[in-house]
Amino acid sequence: MLATEKLSVSYGSVRALTDVDLEISGDGLLHGIIGPNGAGKSTLLDAICGRRRPTSGRVRYCGEDITRRSISWRRRQGMARSFQRTSIFQDLTVREQLQLVAQHLGDEGLDDVIETMDLGGYLDQKAGRIAYGVQRRVDVALALIGRPRLLLMDEPGAGLSATETLRLFQHVRDLVRERRIAAVVVEHDVDAVFACCDMVTVLDLGRHLSTGAPEAIRADQRVISAYLGTAA
Amino acid sequence: MTDDLRASTTATFGSLSQRSLAIAVGLIGLCAGAIVPTYLASDFVLRLGSEGLLLGLLALSVAFLMNQAGLVALGAASIYGGAGYLFAIGMSDWGLSPTAALCVAFLILLVYAAMLGALIVRTNPLAFMMLTLAAGEMISHAVLLEGLRDYTGGADGLVVRVNGSVLGIDALRFADPVQFWCIAWIVTVLIGLAFWAIGRSRLGVVLRAIRGNEERMRFSGFNTFLPRLIGYVLVNVAAAIAGFLHVLNAGFVSPESLGLFVSTNTLVAALIGGISGSLGPILGGLIFSFAQDEFGARGLTQLLTGVAIVLFIVVFPRGVVGGLSSLSKRLGWRREGA
Amino acid sequence: MIALLIANSLALASLLIMLSSGLALIYGLRDVINFGHGAIYMLGAYLGYTIALVGGFWLALLLVPLLLALLGIAFEYLALRPLQRRSHIEVALVTLGLGIILGQVIIYIYGGEARSVDAPKILSGSVTVLHLSYPVYRLFLIVMGLGSCALLALWLRYTSSGLYVRAVSQDPSVARMMGINADRLSLLVTSLSTAFAGIAGVLAGPYLSVDPGMDVVMIVNCLIIVVIGGTGSIGGAIIAALLFGFVQVAGSVFLPNLAALVPYILLMVVLLIAPGGIGRGRVMS
Repeated sequence: MLATEKLSVSYGSVRALTDVDLEISGDGLLHGIIGPNGAGKSTLLDAICGRRRPTSGRVRYCGEDITRRSISWRRRQGMARSFQRTSIFQDLTVREQLQLVAQHLGDEGLDDVIETMDLGGYLDQKAGRIAYGVQRRVDVALALIGRPRLLLMDEPGAGLSATETLRLFQHVRDLVRERRIAAVVVEHDVDAVFACCDMVTVLDLGRHLSTGAPEAIRADQRVISAYLGTAA
Repeated sequence: MTDDLRASTTATFGSLSQRSLAIAVGLIGLCAGAIVPTYLASDFVLRLGSEGLLLGLLALSVAFLMNQAGLVALGAASIYGGAGYLFAIGMSDWGLSPTAALCVAFLILLVYAAMLGALIVRTNPLAFMMLTLAAGEMISHAVLLEGLRDYTGGADGLVVRVNGSVLGIDALRFADPVQFWCIAWIVTVLIGLAFWAIGRSRLGVVLRAIRGNEERMRFSGFNTFLPRLIGYVLVNVAAAIAGFLHVLNAGFVSPESLGLFVSTNTLVAALIGGISGSLGPILGGLIFSFAQDEFGARGLTQLLTGVAIVLFIVVFPRGVVGGLSSLSKRLGWRREGA
Repeated sequence: MIALLIANSLALASLLIMLSSGLALIYGLRDVINFGHGAIYMLGAYLGYTIALVGGFWLALLLVPLLLALLGIAFEYLALRPLQRRSHIEVALVTLGLGIILGQVIIYIYGGEARSVDAPKILSGSVTVLHLSYPVYRLFLIVMGLGSCALLALWLRYTSSGLYVRAVSQDPSVARMMGINADRLSLLVTSLSTAFAGIAGVLAGPYLSVDPGMDVVMIVNCLIIVVIGGTGSIGGAIIAALLFGFVQVAGSVFLPNLAALVPYILLMVVLLIAPGGIGRGRVMS
C-alpha cells in the first residue's frame, strides 16, 4: 500500500533521513517505527504524509507516485495522520470539529468513531477545555474520520501513562484488523510497540536499520547494539 | 448526532412565527433607519452619518476578515479609492456610460483582489498584514506616477461628473445628503446582514477552523487556500461598494482616498465597534466619523487614531459592541449562551 | 556606470540593512513585527537633526543610538513584555498604533516641513576612486552598512547570545526547552534594533531628507525586504536589502517612469516564485 524509495530529507546541511526504503502492506497490519532520539522517525512520517517535501526519493501510495501531492489530496485519498503535539481545533466543540470533517469527507459513520474513541461524554465541550488525555483521543478521532486506508500516528502515547498507551495501541490494532487497513505508528514506548505491532522498523541516525516481526527485531544484533542496548 | 451543524443555530430562532416576526421587525427597522434620521438631523449631521456608514462598510470588510480568518488587512484604501478612480476613468477616458463604467471598474477590482489575494493569503497572518500594507502603498504610489497623470490627475485627483443614472438610480440622488443617507443606510444594512449570514454559513465555519488550525484543516482533507481567497475577495466587494458610494456622493477622487490613513482609520473604526459581528464595525464607523469631526479641526485625528489602536487592543479588545454585550450578560439581561 | 550603480545601491542598502535586520531580529525572537520601526527611525533622524545643530554630526551619531537603545528598553518593558500573552497580530497592531503616535508627536513638535542635515566637513565633497568621482558621504554610508553587517554576523556567529538568538529564531520551542532566557535576550535584541534604527536615522539625514513622511516610506520598504528575505531570516534580510537597494537604484536609472513601483514589482515576483521568501524564515503558515 505504501512504499518509500530512497527517501532523503535534509534540513539545510543536516541530513535527517538518508535513502530510506520502506514497504508497508495494507492487510490489517500495524507497523511500528522505533529508534533513538534524532533517528528521523517523525521526519519519515512528515515526508510520507506531505508535511515535508523530501530532498530526494519517492513516496508511493497504492502504486501511485504521490511525492508531490498536497496534504489535503492525500487525506481525501485515505491517508490520515495524528500528531505528537495534539493538533485539534481548540475553539470548536468536539462535536463541531468532528462533524465539520465528517461532512467534508462524506463520512456517515461518525458515531462509530465517537464510540471507538470513547468521546460520547465530551461532545459539547470546547476541545481546548477538556483534559489532555481526551484531547489526544480527539486528535486520533479526527484522523479516523472518513474511513482512512492508511493511518499515520506520531507518538500516540506522548503524554499518556504506560497503561493508557497500551490500551490505545490495542485499540488501534483491533481497528486495523477489523477494517483491514494499515497503520504506521511512530512510538517512543518500545514495550507497547513490541506488544502490539505486527511489523517493526528500526531507524538510526536517519537510516533504515532493520525491519521485521517484533521477535526478530528484538533478537537483531545490530538493533541491540544501536538502540536497545542493555535495556533489552 | 449526524444532524447538520447549522441546526443548532437555527434552533435558537425558535418557531417559524418567531422568525417571520423577526423579519417584520427587521424590515421596519431598515425603513425607519433610512427615513427617520432625515427628519431629525441636519444635512451636516446626515453627511457625517453617511461618511460614517461608508467607513463602517470598510470596517466591516476588515473586521470580517479579522474575525473569521484571523487576517488583518491594512490595504482597504486601495480598493476604496481605486473604485473611485476606475469609475471616473471609465467614464471620462474610456467613454463608458456610468453604469457600464461602474461594472467595468467592479470587475477590474475583483480581478485585482483575486490576483493579490492568491499571492498573499498563502502567507502567515503577520506577513499578510505586511503585504496588504505594501500593496496599498503600491497603489497609492501608482496613481501619482507621471506617466498616468493624464488618467489620474496626479496629486490633484479627478472631478467626477456623472450624467444620467447609475444602475437605474438618478446620479443626482447620490449628491443629495438626505437621499444619500437613505441609500447608504440600506446598502450598509444589507451588506451587514449578508456578512452576518456568511459568518454563519459553512464558509464561515471553515474559515474559523482554518484560523484556529490551518495545518489540521489540510490534514482533514480541506483546501485551505480557496476559502481564504474567497473570503478575501468577498470583503473587497464590500470595500469596492463603499468606494463607489463615496465617489458618487463626493463627486471627486483624490490620492488621499488611497492613503494609508484611510486604511488605519478603517482599522480603528473596526476596533472601536468590535470585530465580531456586523453591528460593531458599522457602529465604529459612525463613532469614528463624529469623533473625527470633533477632533479633526485641531489636527489630532491621526494622533488619536494611534491612541485608539493601542487603547482598544490592550484595554477593550472586544470593542464597544462586544463590551456592551458582555456587560449585559453580566447583568443577566440575556440568557447565557444566547 | 555599473560601478556607480553598484555603489549607489550599496549606499541605500546600507540604511535598509540596519533597519530591516533589526526588524528580522525581533521577529525571530518574539514572532512580532514592529510596525513602529519606521517611526523609531524617523525619531532617530529628527533627534539627529537637533543634536547635530547643537553639538555636530558626530555627537549625534554617538548619542542618538544610545537614546534610542533606552527607548528600546522602554518598548520592551512597557509594550512587548506586558503583551507577551496576546496574539502576535495584536502586538503587531499595538506597534502600529505606537508608531503612529510617535510619528504624530514628532510632526507636532517639528512641524510639517522637511529639514536638511549637512554632512560633517570631512565627509562632504567627493573623492576620485578609479577615475570615478564619488561623494565621500555615500562611501561612509557603505562602510557603516557593511561594518554593521560584519558586526552582526560576528555577533551571531561567535558569541553565546548570538548563538541563542539563532537557536530561538530557528525553533522557539526547542530553545525554550534548552532553558534559554528569552526575556533577557529579547531586551538585548530590542534595544539593539532600536539603536540601529537610530544610527540609520542619523545617517539618513545628510543622504535623504528628514521629513514627516519618512517613517511610512521606510517601514514599507523594510516590510518588503523582510518578506522577500523570508520573515525572521537575518541573512535573508541582508541579501534582500542588497537586492532591494540595487533594484531601486537601477529602477530610477533605467525605468524612471516606473521607479516608484519597482520595489513592489520585485516583491510580487519573489512571492510568485518563492512564497516563503528567499531566506529560510517562517513566513509560510
